[in-house]
Amino acid sequence: MSVSVSDQLIAVLPRLRRFARGLTGSAVEADDLVQAACERALSRAHQFQEGTRFDSWMFRIVQTIWIDQLRARDTRREEAEEDGMHVGTDEPARRAEARLALQEVRVALRKLPPEQRVALLLVTVDGLSYKEAAEVAEVPVGTIMSRLARARVALQAQLEAGSGLRRSTQDAKAG
Amino acid sequence: MPRPGDDRLIAYLDGEIEEGERERIAQWLERDGELRERAALLGESAAALRAAFDEVLREPLPERLIAAARGEAGAVADLSAARGKRWKRVLGDRRWWLGAAAAASLAAFAVGFGIGGGEVGLSGGPAPGKIASGTELVSDTFPDNLAGYYKRYVNLHPGEAASFDKLPQNFHLPNLKPWGLDFQGARFLMVDGQPAMALVYTTDDKALGPVIVVVANSGKPDDTVRFASSGDINVLRWRYHGHAYALAGIANANYLWNIHNDLAYQFDGI
Repeated sequence: MSVSVSDQLIAVLPRLRRFARGLTGSAVEADDLVQAACERALSRAHQFQEGTRFDSWMFRIVQTIWIDQLRARDTRREEAEEDGMHVGTDEPARRAEARLALQEVRVALRKLPPEQRVALLLVTVDGLSYKEAAEVAEVPVGTIMSRLARARVALQAQLEAGSGLRRSTQDAKAG
Repeated sequence: MPRPGDDRLIAYLDGEIEEGERERIAQWLERDGELRERAALLGESAAALRAAFDEVLREPLPERLIAAARGEAGAVADLSAARGKRWKRVLGDRRWWLGAAAAASLAAFAVGFGIGGGEVGLSGGPAPGKIASGTELVSDTFPDNLAGYYKRYVNLHPGEAASFDKLPQNFHLPNLKPWGLDFQGARFLMVDGQPAMALVYTTDDKALGPVIVVVANSGKPDDTVRFASSGDINVLRWRYHGHAYALAGIANANYLWNIHNDLAYQFDGI
């Protein structure tokens, strides 16, 4: 086992968890997914090419495992719980409302097709370039671009319909 | 340049447009208020998406993930424990098996055989419905016993009618419908010296085949997930916090493992 791979893994864990949370919509499933990705990465550390981006390699592993899981089971869980992201009943009203708005965003994301979700999370949430996202998803840049456009338009439409957009962005601005 | 569509506008907002086109889109935005409003909305939805997941970055990292990143063996146990906690929610803390034992005795009497009536093996096993006597979950013979039970009872021949026992009142029935597996019924058997439930699920998918899920209370120590096969039957079994579990079917081990995971995920909502 390579120590440097472990160190790099630990450094990238928060981003992997965020990516996995967006993919699965569940805190528990996300951590299971990241754990499985860590185990796979360590067992295949020899396949990592020095000089390439480690985070991209890990995103690709997470995505691959998640897609495999999707293929293996029916994921019609529209009502899936937002475990680990519950709205506390004792929160001040404004903060609770803002959290509800953010939850709307997460629910809207889950309604998108898997490949659009991946594109959104890699580019819009994690800030990868189209080229980097294309390498992770193993598709041409043009495909990422079109997936991203469809996803952004669909997401924005869903948020507008649910009026979650204004509230969530106001909260984001409020800090 | 024609009015930019959503795809070009988004690429512009993402900074993925070449210099020349970027200037042309900027000019469009200067003179087209509707386009500006569209760009603002798209930008806001992106900001909302980032805000929705930013809190994950601020969460403390779970120990099991750090252990997994370091390649420490404890991570596997932690994952198993996390799954076990979810299973525990299914069974609850009530000692449902006390009621189950009484029901089992009555059911056994009614159909003419008793719990503990002999071993079930792959060859020369008893008639459908017979169950293993005091089978230990971790014993070498358990997979054979369960496989025999599966072949004799779960994988019924055409025309054979199944008879099932009544589920205890407070028993949370696992839902395997997302896999196309329909619950058919439950039978009582013994595992780790305790009454257990064998839950039978069937499907039209012949590659997946029927599946049997065994759940029981157990006084034995925790044990990690073990895999074994007996003939063409694969068996996963484990113990966690006073409960014993087993999953058997003709599906391959990965498929069974995924069913196990998926079951646990569904149980989070119960």
